[in-house]
Amino acid sequence: MESYTLWKTMISSGEEVTFWQNFYVKFYQAFIEADRWKQYLNGVGTTLLVTAIALVIGIILGVLVAMLRTAHDQQLPGHRNPLLGVLNVICSIYTTVIRGTPMMVQLLIMGMVIFSSSRNFTAVGALTLGINSGAYVAEIIRGGLMSLDPGQAEAGRSLGLGYIDTMRYIVIPQAFKAVLPALSNEFIILLKDTSLITCIGGKELLYAAQGIYSRTYEAMFPLIGTAVIYLAMVMILTWLQGKLERRLRESDRR
Amino acid sequence: MIVVNDLHKSFGNNEVLCGITEHIKEGEKVVIIGPSGSGKSTFLRCLNLLEMPTSGEIIFDGVSMTAPKTNINQMRQKMGMVFQHFNLFNNLTVLRNMTLAPVQLKRMSKEEAEENAMALLQRVGLADKANAFPAQLSGGQKQRIAIVRALAMKPKVMLFDEPTSALDPEMVGEVLDVMKELAEDGMTMVVVTHEMGFAREVATRVLFMDGGNILEQGTPQQIFSHPQEERTKLFLSKVL
Repeated sequence: MESYTLWKTMISSGEEVTFWQNFYVKFYQAFIEADRWKQYLNGVGTTLLVTAIALVIGIILGVLVAMLRTAHDQQLPGHRNPLLGVLNVICSIYTTVIRGTPMMVQLLIMGMVIFSSSRNFTAVGALTLGINSGAYVAEIIRGGLMSLDPGQAEAGRSLGLGYIDTMRYIVIPQAFKAVLPALSNEFIILLKDTSLITCIGGKELLYAAQGIYSRTYEAMFPLIGTAVIYLAMVMILTWLQGKLERRLRESDRR
Repeated sequence: MIVVNDLHKSFGNNEVLCGITEHIKEGEKVVIIGPSGSGKSTFLRCLNLLEMPTSGEIIFDGVSMTAPKTNINQMRQKMGMVFQHFNLFNNLTVLRNMTLAPVQLKRMSKEEAEENAMALLQRVGLADKANAFPAQLSGGQKQRIAIVRALAMKPKVMLFDEPTSALDPEMVGEVLDVMKELAEDGMTMVVVTHEMGFAREVATRVLFMDGGNILEQGTPQQIFSHPQEERTKLFLSKVL
């Protein structure tokens, strides 16, 4: 503390300081002074919360869209359900629009146009990210459903199991295992994309860092600190993915 | 037990079944033979509506399968099916493969279903594989389990779609033995196969199909020893 004040005055008065003295001052300013580490911590909390909400929305939307579109594609010719046809068109417009426009633009439209009167930027951000993620998750899951041998579903149906039961007990568990790497990839991207909600005022990790360097005029430490925190979160996520994959691989052992 | 009236099936412009009329009685063991592309598998798959017929009628157990208001899932519970590629559920253990449908469809309690499954596994000599996953089994073992999985629903009819065609020659015998035993127990069976020995030994009736029609049918004796149609003779001269 004393050394911080001392070295800081030395720096501001233009005196020579060593590299490590300089490093210490910058580090102290970025993380410790005024309990700034709490701001990062709050930011991380929001980041995780937004990721979790977006993840849930994304998975629900994605599974729904993927199943609707697969059900539509798998109808027997001559027995097409008109309602499924309409829903399929809606779903394909959704994926086209979401995948065809930049995340940032979607966030700005949601924050500045559709929900312009809302002050809860974090919630708007989470919703937007969830809707965005849903489109990608839908395509990933659809790929998984289509990659599975149709014989699996046929065997289920031949035993008298209905479409939903066959999906739930046979098709989805196997499809899920097949798409887990692609899905994890999507979740990692989602986690990192939460940083974009700063542009509509969402108070997550990057927002905290920006707030700090706009006060200290020293961007390097807050930004590198932010990067390190994201990296750590992604590494934990990757580790969890590995564990889950090993568990799901149980039925493959020979 | 199964009545088929003027069954047609087309895939696009390709007519695979051209008006089949057939009556399968309880206890019969009907073996369908014929060249590939003759429509025998499609015919079998139409019986439990895995393929939707283009036109015609199928009546099973007194109920029209093809009527729009029929609960197909309920009807399928009474029809076991065995596939060429086994189609065991790869994500479930052998025991779960066998108990999933009976328990889920409320035909049995979990305990009953497991007991029933173990008894069936015992019968085909695979009780020690109850907790194995399909990936750990040989082809012959998989197919024997696929058969008892269908039997676990206590079906009235068993449909076999080339059950030995994907097996190593060494393993064909063990699967056919299970099927023979099943035939001896009086199960009604419809079998599409290239195993002429099995047809000769087990069938009560053999159907010869070609070009989407049943060209000729009769007892194994009639078909194998005194075929009437030129096409049947040609086919048999190549496979026997």
